Amino acid sequence: MRYLLINILFLSLISCASLSTTKNLKTTSINKIVENSYFSNIELDYVYKAKINVNNNNIGGLLIVKKIKKKHHRVVFTTEFGNKIFDFEFNNNVFKVNSIMEQLNKKIVINALKKDFQLLIKEFNKATNKFNDNTHFIYQTTLNKKDNYYFINKTTKNLDKIVMASKHKEKVTIYFKNKKNNIAKNIQIKHQNFNMNMQLNYLN
Amino acid sequence: MKKTILFIFIVVLSSLIANSQTKLSQSESLVLKNKIIKTSKATKTITNNFKQSKHLSFLSKDIVSYGKLVFKAPDLIKWTYNKPFKYSVIFKDNQLFINDDGTKSDIDLSANKAFKNLNNLIIQSVKGDMFDDEKFDISYFKVSTNYMIRFVSKDKSLKSFIKEFELTFDTQNYHVLNIKMIESSEDYTTITFLDQQINKSVSDAIFIN
Repeated sequence: MRYLLINILFLSLISCASLSTTKNLKTTSINKIVENSYFSNIELDYVYKAKINVNNNNIGGLLIVKKIKKKHHRVVFTTEFGNKIFDFEFNNNVFKVNSIMEQLNKKIVINALKKDFQLLIKEFNKATNKFNDNTHFIYQTTLNKKDNYYFINKTTKNLDKIVMASKHKEKVTIYFKNKKNNIAKNIQIKHQNFNMNMQLNYLN
Repeated sequence: MKKTILFIFIVVLSSLIANSQTKLSQSESLVLKNKIIKTSKATKTITNNFKQSKHLSFLSKDIVSYGKLVFKAPDLIKWTYNKPFKYSVIFKDNQLFINDDGTKSDIDLSANKAFKNLNNLIIQSVKGDMFDDEKFDISYFKVSTNYMIRFVSKDKSLKSFIKEFELTFDTQNYHVLNIKMIESSEDYTTITFLDQQINKSVSDAIFIN
């Protein structure tokens, strides 16, 4: 009986500790740069209609991403009327808030937004581990003490999704859908730890 | 060569004429202000198509959208975007009713001061009647064939949003032709009204989400 209890305890610890993203997948250690090239063209203005649902409240607007130069992006969110909600700048991993609406000007909100958008736009990512499932090569990278998993489709070679996770739990998943000429026409950013979902549809 | 010089001369001259901006005298300003207020009071409905351009300094081109605006006195407005996305918002009974491509929601303005102020400004700017000296430093201009009135925000919280409004008026009928909202960063949004119809009958049913 005691043996069984220890066994159950041990098993439940194991299951707690393993991330479902990479569960039962074989890993090899590598040294490779994984690219997210969906916001990499300096010539393009990336303008998306955004629909955000936070705790069943809906917020709409436009998400505008522009690559200024290598490793330097502007990320701006405006209302449909054109009023800026926030204006962020990512320059070589240095993050700057150019402006943010008074109501959102809170450290916790800014940090959450920063993490999401950094994950969305970061172009070059150093992978240290590689996993393999039926359809994807999965590259593990690390950023801000979190592990990010880049799912590269084995057939199309496209980046299909990114999963941000702690050691034990998935936090955020970004799905890139309807991809053409290095533009993801539909993007979904889904939070696993709280009720927030962002749907982005490319305009033009 | 002569032709080229002449051509450059004409281009420069015409651009100078097009951009010529003269400040109105105090008495001219007062006459214009009174005419606009009178027109605004007589305006029961406005039905417009509009073109909106968002200028952000770091983008290679402006973000352009199109839609339709319906106003019914005293304070009903429906603002609809048709291209390149579908989105509408109705200002009614101190509430905003939003339809974001099928996703409907509403915002109670009485609980949200910032939105309420913005709502009032939108109504006032569409009517052209924004003559609040406590909120704005107001100056009057003749710009090419139109009038332009500049409203520079005095209020600190509004200023952080929109530094100034420039409303362009038709010299014949004193209605608003163009709204330009300039942010403190100098980025701006312009809304140009097209196919304007004044006091055409408008059903209340339009303002149901």
